[in-house]
Amino acid sequence: MRQMNKRKLNQLFELARNEPAPVPPADFPADMLRAILREPRGTVAGELTIFDRLNLLFPRIAFAAVAIIILCIALDCGLTATGMPGLHDGLSQISAQWLLTPDEFQL
Amino acid sequence: MNDDAELLERIRNGATDDFAGIVHRHQGRVFAILHRYERDAHKIEDLAQETFVKAWRALDQFDGRAPFDHWLSKIAVRVALDHLRREKRRPNEVGLPEPGDDALDWLRRGDEKSELEGRAAAELLDLAMRELSPLDRVVITMQEMEGRSVKEICEATGASGVAVRVRALRARGKLRRVLGKLMNEANEQTQAEPTL
Repeated sequence: MRQMNKRKLNQLFELARNEPAPVPPADFPADMLRAILREPRGTVAGELTIFDRLNLLFPRIAFAAVAIIILCIALDCGLTATGMPGLHDGLSQISAQWLLTPDEFQL
Repeated sequence: MNDDAELLERIRNGATDDFAGIVHRHQGRVFAILHRYERDAHKIEDLAQETFVKAWRALDQFDGRAPFDHWLSKIAVRVALDHLRREKRRPNEVGLPEPGDDALDWLRRGDEKSELEGRAAAELLDLAMRELSPLDRVVITMQEMEGRSVKEICEATGASGVAVRVRALRARGKLRRVLGKLMNEANEQTQAEPTL
């Protein structure tokens, strides 16, 4: 499909910038004053919801998760190469000795 | 001490009426920001009211480190973002407006530099921007229409620098596709018209 070229898009932005902004009504400040007299002060305003924040943080969270996974794999490989028990061995040991002790299955 | 700081100090000390002075000083800027995201004058006024009410409620959080108009602009952008999200969720019963004749002529002219009235250009851009996600629209508007830096956009939207750059790139690509489609339609319309 045909796209508008970059130069024409930039021209459109430039032309649109020339549009004058609307002029506020003369009684706008007075109306605002009446409106705020009914409002309490000191509450949080303009805050993003938790979902918005998670959405905005998504690239960082994803990057951090990938970095942690890579670090764990590298650590495991490093430990295995040096002959020390790796993370997998450690986890197997924990599950065998502590989480699933043979005593628990005895009736 | 500048005028804003003086007024804000008086408001904090109980002179509520001075908030009208703050509104008077900054209303033009707030209307100009909101106008980038909404064409209807009544809705712009409602959004401006919402902006100033939010500023009023959060006035104690303004620490004076940045200029007041920067802080207020951020609130206006957040209000615009919320508005765009609400509009996106609402089913459009009226349907999208068609580009005007001037805009169609401009689209047909291809690459050559041609004139288009600011209003017609803004309407055409608004039409294309409706295809963007609300946050993409805010990012590209702040960057291209207001000339804001990536840092300023990050502060206003809460997005990271990488996210802002990616969104701006994606938004430009989508705008070019949407406007390209409108260009095709405008050209097809010309070919279909019988010559007199």
